[in-house]
Order: sequence, then structure tokens, then C-alpha cells
Amino acid sequence: MLSTSLKAGMNVSKLPPQWIPSPVVWSNYADVWVKVDFARYTFNSFVIVIADVIGTLLSCSMVAFGMAMFTFRLKKVLYLGMLATLMLPFQVTMIPGYFIWKSFGALDTYYPLIVPTFLGGSFGIFLLHQFYKSTTKELYEASKIDGCGPWTALWRIYFPLSRAVLSALAVFTFMGAWSNTIGPLLYLHDKEMFTLPLGLLFLRSDVGLEQQILMAAAVIVTLPVVVVFLFAQKQFVEGIASTGLKG
Amino acid sequence: MRNEARWGYLLTLPFSLNLLVFFAFPFFFSLYLTFTQWDMFNAPDWIGGRNWSRLIQDASFWYSLRNILLFAAIFVPLQTILALVLAYFLNQSIRGKSFYRMLYFLPVVTPWLAGGTMWGWLLNKTYGMVNYMLTSLSLPPVDWLDSKQWWLPITSVALVNVWKGVGSSMVILLAAIQGVPKDLYEAASLEGANRWSVFWRIVFPLVSPMIFLVLVLSTISAFQAFDVFLVMFDSPNVVPDSKVTPNILIYKDAFLTTKMGYASAMSWALFIVILAVTLVQKRFEKRWVHYE
Repeated sequence: MLSTSLKAGMNVSKLPPQWIPSPVVWSNYADVWVKVDFARYTFNSFVIVIADVIGTLLSCSMVAFGMAMFTFRLKKVLYLGMLATLMLPFQVTMIPGYFIWKSFGALDTYYPLIVPTFLGGSFGIFLLHQFYKSTTKELYEASKIDGCGPWTALWRIYFPLSRAVLSALAVFTFMGAWSNTIGPLLYLHDKEMFTLPLGLLFLRSDVGLEQQILMAAAVIVTLPVVVVFLFAQKQFVEGIASTGLKG
Repeated sequence: MRNEARWGYLLTLPFSLNLLVFFAFPFFFSLYLTFTQWDMFNAPDWIGGRNWSRLIQDASFWYSLRNILLFAAIFVPLQTILALVLAYFLNQSIRGKSFYRMLYFLPVVTPWLAGGTMWGWLLNKTYGMVNYMLTSLSLPPVDWLDSKQWWLPITSVALVNVWKGVGSSMVILLAAIQGVPKDLYEAASLEGANRWSVFWRIVFPLVSPMIFLVLVLSTISAFQAFDVFLVMFDSPNVVPDSKVTPNILIYKDAFLTTKMGYASAMSWALFIVILAVTLVQKRFEKRWVHYE
């Protein structure tokens, strides 16, 4: 992929493949920016992804804390609902979901892709719930004696305590949101609002056989996730290992 | 209301809203839609079971079910077995362990659009790398993605999907294998058990609940696969029956031709198939999954 992205047009389909391109054509990368508004797509992608990560971390912590620490009658229902949402195919809720956002007049805005993450996702709640349940009751009692209400206890004690799980969740969310294709495909039609994957999808039909440009674009889309993954690799693998997903 | 319950409701309020607005309402609304004709601009028009009877006679829909079943039948077992083998070996003390972990996990984080674009190019009939290697071994080139044989493109895509997904299953299984107590290995080697029986008698039973989880998760994801088909084949409105999958049909009917009612009926049919397959897996669970 990287190699092709640096080739001159005529050398792309040459067989045997040239592993080291010659000449090295850096301008393929510049071409991507000229052919489509990749700068704009990158900006859109980052806005959505960053909002998603913040939304997921805050809302999942809050909901998981509520479910793990307090008893109330509808708790069981919520728990079952959480498991059910993991099972239900996206396609079933897709059309009504689209209808909801359409009737809010929120197509071609960031909202459909951001707001749901501020309401808590099942996966994150599940992870954090397992974690909070594994903390001791004494910790909560101690915080009460020190004069913390539940709200302060959550943000001052439990939120920082779950740093490891939260960073794994942040990485998961980042990667999911960054590569999300179907969401933007449904809700964003205006080219101004496109995210990177969507830009790449339409670039495919636009540039046709200019593989070198396409590969350059693919490298651009992949790079941020790879960088995040390399930095977060340790948390990522250990985050899964340490969170009751062990079964 | 007791203070504690009040805090419980308050803190979980966002998620309750989420469940009601984005799951419960869509769930029932989409069930209702399966009995209607709807273009999303006018009010839904009740037509009774007509969508369902049309569905049963729709050849494209049956092709799509056939394709997705083959896709799942190749993808799910292959991915699970491969993930288990990789996790088992990566748990041994071998050199460059974290390099290998990264190697297998990299595809997971690569967005489908980028990974699929790459594979489309590698598998290309005339200038793809895979066929180049075949011909240099003096084997005939294969038309991976456009073959007349319907099963071949589906198989190719299923294999690409394994490339993409095996890392995530592997990480989950690796975590499970790391949870196997060390003294069990020692006891086994004292009794003179070889590697093979250590794996089958100790590791496999202890890890089996996680294997089951991975199996169920990858089955659900196989039936919901969308991106992979979107990037490996042509755009959704021109995919031929031989390569169509339920999700492509649903997307096409709902958003390209605005037949919301019919698309909802298809999504419910897909849901029923997933549910049935999951229940079958659950039935066989007792046969081989071992809980402490």
C-alpha cells in the first residue's frame, strides 16, 4: 500500500511489482489534497471522533457508576436492555434512526454521529460496570465519611481510578468512530460534511484506475489509527485483559 | 423515593433515554413498518403482509441469504480456530512476541475503506499481486472477485474478513489463556503430558467459555457485515445477485429507492436468522463449553 502510493502512474500495474518505487512520486500525496477536499474531511473526522471519545467516556462512567453502586427497581431492565442492544442488528434500527434525525432536521450535521455517544454505549457501560463492581464497598463508604456526595465521589475518586479501563475504551471509541462508514454514509450527503472514509469511498469512483492516488489516500486514512494504536497498544491489550472480559 | 434509588435513576438517565429513543422506539417502529409501504415523505401506508409475501418470492433475497450463510460458514470457524491457534502460540515465550501481536492487530485498526481498497488491488485479476504469484508458480490466474462461480467471490471476501478480524478475537482469547493458572501446566508436565494433551485437556476446557463468546460475537458480526461488501464489490446499486448480501439489499431498498417498508421486512428477516443461528449455537453450548 505504502509502496504503491509513491509510484508513478505507469509503474503501478507493472509485473513483477516494484517493491521500491522508482521514481518516488511524493506528489501523489499532494494530488489527493488537490483532487478532493481531504483537509476538510480530516477536520470533520477529527471533530466527530474527539466528541465521540469525550461523550463516551463521560456518559459511560456516569451510567456504569449508577448501575454498579445503587439499587433501584428498573436496574434489571436497564441491564437486560444493555445486553439486548449488543444483539440487535444495526439494520433493524437503521431506518427509524434515520427518520428520527431527518425529522429533527439534523441530516448533514454532526449531531447524529455525536449525540448518541453522549447517552452511553452498551459496550463501554459493560466494561466500566464490571470494573466498578470489582472495587470495594469500603472505598465508597470511606468517601461518604469524608463528606463526598455520590456526584463528587464519581468524578473525584472513581473516574480517575478507572484510568486504565477508560484509556482502553477511548482507544476503542477512537478506532470505531474513525473507521465508521455506514453512519456517515447515511447521515452526511453534503460533501462539505464528509468524513475521511466517506471521502475515500467517493474518491474510488472518481479516480477510477489511478491506484497510486487511491493508495496515498488510503495511507492518509490509516495513519492516525495506526499512530494511536502504537501509542496505546499496551493499554489496549491489558485493558481487555483486566476488565472481567476474561469470563 | 429513597435517596439511593434517586441517584440510581439520575445517573443512568442518559442511557435510559438512549434505550427508549434509539432502540425501543426504532425496534417497534421498524416492526410496524414491515407491514407498510413508506417512502419517508408521506405517512406510512398499511399493506398487511404484502412485504412479507413478496420477500418469500424475492429471488435476490434468497441469493443474499445463501451468500451470507456461506460467508458466515467460512468466516466464523476459520477466524475462531486461527485466533485460538495464534493466541496459544503467542502465549508461549517466543521472541518478538509484541511484534507479532501488533502484526495481527494492525488489520483490526485499519479502516475497511483502506484495507478493502488494498485487497481489491491485490486480488485484481489482471494486475493483482496474488495472481502474479500464482502465474509465477505456473498456476492459472483466478478471477477472485468477479468469477462466474458465485461461491468464489464470497469466499475471497470471507478470507479478507478473517484477515481483518482475527486480531480482535485473538486478543480476547489471549487474555483468557493468560488466565489459566500456571500450576496446572506444571502439574501436567509432572504427569508427563505432551503439548497436545495439555492443550486439549487443560487449556481448551478452561478457555471454552471465551471461545464460545468469540464464536457468538463473530457470528453476529458476520451476518451484519456491510463495509467489507461495500468496498470489495461495486457500488450497492449495481451488485449482481450472485454477490448480493442482505445488508446491501436493505441499504439499497431503503436509501437508494426509498422502499422503507420492504427494507424493514428484510432487516427483520435478517434479525430472525441471526437469532435462530445464535439459539442453535446456545443449544450446542452444553456439549463442549465447560464452566467451573
